[in-house]
Amino acid sequence: MPPIIEKDKCIGCHKCVDLCPVDVYGVQEKKGCPPVIRYPEECWHCNACVFDCPAKAIRLRVPAPLAMVFVDAPERKREN
Amino acid sequence: MSGMKQNPPLECDVLVAGGGVAGLMAAIAAADRGAKVIVAEKANSKRSGSGATGNDHFLCYIPEVHGEDPSEFIQEMESSQIGGNNDMDLVRRYVDECFDRVKDWDAWGVGMREHGDWEFNGHAKPGHLKVWLKYAGREQKPIFTREALKRGVTILNHHPFAEVITGEDGTVAGGICVDLTEEIPKMQVIRAKSVVLATGNVNRLFGSRTMGWMFNMAGCPSDVCTGRAAAYRAGARLVNLDMTGMGAGCKYFNRGGKATWIGVYSDIEGKPLGPFVTKPSKEYGDLAGDVWREMFTLKNSQGEPVFMNCSEIQDEDLDYMLWGLTNEGNVATMDHLKEEGFDFKKHMVEFDAKDGGSLGGGIDIDINAGCTVPGLYAAGDETGNFRADMGGAATFGHIAGVSAAEYSQGKENRNAEQMPAAAEWLEKHSQILERPADNSCPSWKELNVAVQQVMSDYCGPYVRSEHMMQTGLTHLKRLQKQVERMCAKNSHEFMRCIEVEDMFLMGELAFYSAMERKETRGRHRRVDYPFTNSLLNQKFVTIEKSDKGPSVGWRDKHK
Repeated sequence: MPPIIEKDKCIGCHKCVDLCPVDVYGVQEKKGCPPVIRYPEECWHCNACVFDCPAKAIRLRVPAPLAMVFVDAPERKREN
Repeated sequence: MSGMKQNPPLECDVLVAGGGVAGLMAAIAAADRGAKVIVAEKANSKRSGSGATGNDHFLCYIPEVHGEDPSEFIQEMESSQIGGNNDMDLVRRYVDECFDRVKDWDAWGVGMREHGDWEFNGHAKPGHLKVWLKYAGREQKPIFTREALKRGVTILNHHPFAEVITGEDGTVAGGICVDLTEEIPKMQVIRAKSVVLATGNVNRLFGSRTMGWMFNMAGCPSDVCTGRAAAYRAGARLVNLDMTGMGAGCKYFNRGGKATWIGVYSDIEGKPLGPFVTKPSKEYGDLAGDVWREMFTLKNSQGEPVFMNCSEIQDEDLDYMLWGLTNEGNVATMDHLKEEGFDFKKHMVEFDAKDGGSLGGGIDIDINAGCTVPGLYAAGDETGNFRADMGGAATFGHIAGVSAAEYSQGKENRNAEQMPAAAEWLEKHSQILERPADNSCPSWKELNVAVQQVMSDYCGPYVRSEHMMQTGLTHLKRLQKQVERMCAKNSHEFMRCIEVEDMFLMGELAFYSAMERKETRGRHRRVDYPFTNSLLNQKFVTIEKSDKGPSVGWRDKHK
């Protein structure tokens, strides 16, 4: 469930904690280590933490119920 | 009783509830007029609200583009997805001022014309005036935050607004917000001469397509209706709460949006479904999803899924679409599709009318963004008689800030923290933290799911009737007793609990409003009153607090 933090890249600055519009991270005990994601099911997939992470250590995973539905498009008609 | 801890009161001229686009625009405008401004923000204003990581369009009238006479522009605006419930005096003021706000944003560095000149693409009908300016909003929130701070505005991040405090004379004396910066929340009273409510849309009152995944929403799921609820409790009039609607966009992933997609709504064989376009068009998009929401339910009932078909898009237009999606907060959508092996030229993605309804309407404002309570203002998605999304937030945010600053001049701050509203709030909300946080008391989540069920099933966009609504309202009121027994063990849960309180109030007011309109109008589908009564054209349902409870009334739409 989102977000996913690469622990060896994370510098523990907790910018993500401060910026999340829906408080997915909650209040953290201490900086300097990767934050605990206390409320992952409340992610809005806005990408704020992904954009603003100075270590580029965060990515999102879209949960299965939210997966988009797609099919092959019909063959393109030859024109011109 | 020990009670919730309190911070010492703070003081300002203009208190802004919510640091979204409308709130920051209000704060900037008020500070420019010399007011001392505090913004109470639920998260962090750099990335909060429905504009957190970008938006796509800004409804904007530019005389050089649209001609000196704005009447055709206004006509197009009223027939678009945001039209219908707008007071026309507010529309005219909007049209007069919106380009000034676009110019402000351009000057501050928001991407208002990233391809050289103002461009009006998408949300458009062939042969009609194009009214939606396409812009790149990805960095808008950090920019507005910087502009506010530059002007001396104090932004209290992680301090959601909760309540308006009025004095004995009924005028605004301040507000209450909650300090969430530590594990246990604290009450924060702010003395203020005026309050601007800008807490955004109502996003978790009705269910999403993925019931249970409550935060799967197009708009910010932390925006729930706080300002509307606080305005009502302070005595302000709300309007158009009987109206409902539904969004459209990518099926299941509700973040997806629709307006930036350059494709054609098609059936599985690639046959276009709407009357507007037959090939992907950067200029028009496909308006069918904006103005024909029945397309989805109708086609589904015929056994046909509806697809967004971009397969015939030109390379240049595909680049433009990807630029648009990147700048309107849809990077997660693109990453997801990429991971799944989606190819815009080979596949088509299913679209859908994606939610169990929404709450139309909100706070009733006058042409200066004033509410019916002196000293109280509202702007943005929060208002019930004007809607223009980001442009509305920008333009009426600015107007609200100017009005609040002018109102505050020459007034004195009062001891809001000693007023009865403050003591009542403290007593009621201390209990949320004092109740045992075990299974003996309901959690916010339980009640949030419950209210979504009631609203979608009994007051939603599919079937409404006196009997359905009577039944739903009875159930809602029974559930409300459980709201009074909610518990929270920390700041996060406390924030969600007060959101749920407000949602139950707004749900109740929506039921009363919808019961009053005994006709069918748009998505307000009264199966017991199936006709659209032309005597009720241009008439709005209002609701305000009285000694006997919610008092429902009517007013004319302003010409």
